[in-house]
Amino acid sequence: MNEVTVTSERYAIGLARAFGGAIIFGLPLLMTMEMWSLGFSMGRGRLLLLMGFTLAVLVGLSYFSGFEKTFSLKEDAMDAFAAFGVGVITSAVLLVVLAVITFDMSWGDIVGRVALQSVPASIGAMLGRKQLGDEQDMDAEEERKREAGYGGELFLMLAGALFLAFNMAPTEEMILIAFQMTPWHALALGVLSLGLLHVFVYSIGFSGQENRPEGGTFLSTFLHFTLAGYGVALLVSLYVLWSFGRTDGVSVAEIANMLVVLGFPASLGAATARLVV
Amino acid sequence: MNRKSRTDDIHPAKAEQQMPWLEWLASAIGLLLVLGIFGVIGWQLFSGATTPPVITVEVENVAPVEGGYRVLFRAYNNAGEAAAQVEIEGKVTAAGEDEETSKAILDYVPGHSARQGGLFFTRDPHSGSLAVRAVGFATP
Repeated sequence: MNEVTVTSERYAIGLARAFGGAIIFGLPLLMTMEMWSLGFSMGRGRLLLLMGFTLAVLVGLSYFSGFEKTFSLKEDAMDAFAAFGVGVITSAVLLVVLAVITFDMSWGDIVGRVALQSVPASIGAMLGRKQLGDEQDMDAEEERKREAGYGGELFLMLAGALFLAFNMAPTEEMILIAFQMTPWHALALGVLSLGLLHVFVYSIGFSGQENRPEGGTFLSTFLHFTLAGYGVALLVSLYVLWSFGRTDGVSVAEIANMLVVLGFPASLGAATARLVV
Repeated sequence: MNRKSRTDDIHPAKAEQQMPWLEWLASAIGLLLVLGIFGVIGWQLFSGATTPPVITVEVENVAPVEGGYRVLFRAYNNAGEAAAQVEIEGKVTAAGEDEETSKAILDYVPGHSARQGGLFFTRDPHSGSLAVRAVGFATP
């Protein structure tokens, strides 16, 4: 009986850190105007898909570093739901306090705003333990990342890219920057993204840095991890832009420009995923 | 506390058998919220959320203020889709005089929702006929 109360107590601490993470990581977007209007104006089907995608990412993140140690898929799913709940509650409370939500609004409006805002907040809740907690099960976590292999590596890059890209994508500035860039600017930014991605992951010794695979040449590492990572970053950017309806009726050339623009934060997110996740 | 949790970590298998009640509670609340939110969004998906905006404007209050008259209005979007940059135009027409036009722009009127605003006139709207309507919108 005593054991049970102790573990509940520990879970409560994890939950408190999750709320902390949800507030800190969710705050920039909670105070972004475009997020409020996207909440009610973006396509309902796309919003639903985005929420489903977020839940899937949360399950994966719970496996690698949730707010408590997990042992099975069931537990990862439970943690994902708990993180989602924390994200929703945090978003709802803060949006009400910030007067973004008032009670004379329609239900569809209110739920849409909370739902969209809960995406960054629930990822923040999941990361809260890692960033705000002590480093107690770092070893287990590192072991999982090692075991996960190439697929796990790509998943972490995806999660990192999603988190950072999502923080920029709703703003009008992404489109404005894409409009004012010439093809030369776009090429330069693409090369810069690739270069930084490679350097961040393999060269400058951030914590959680990847060791170059045994016997791997520069070229094979570049193809295997850096290019693959940039590909993930671009796909995540495309998905997020599509979700927000930024690609509707836009020419392919202009979409490519937007992808390079949003791909910059996305690839930095992919590169530093191991730091954050 | 910290010390205790470290010792707990050495026996991870134990935690698997006794899942704390708080974990069940937090997960259950999360699941409920997931179902609720997916339900509301999914319901919108199939209940005409994709019909283009239809905006009606009704005058709520007319009051004399410093320098003229203030007309408060309420714009209601009867359809599912949100409208952006909704332009509201009010006209006061009286027999034998030029009409007076005032305009206001509402950034957004979400579907099945109302937004409020106001127009200023120099002439008393009661002196003639007052017409307030939405002139146009952009899709967000």
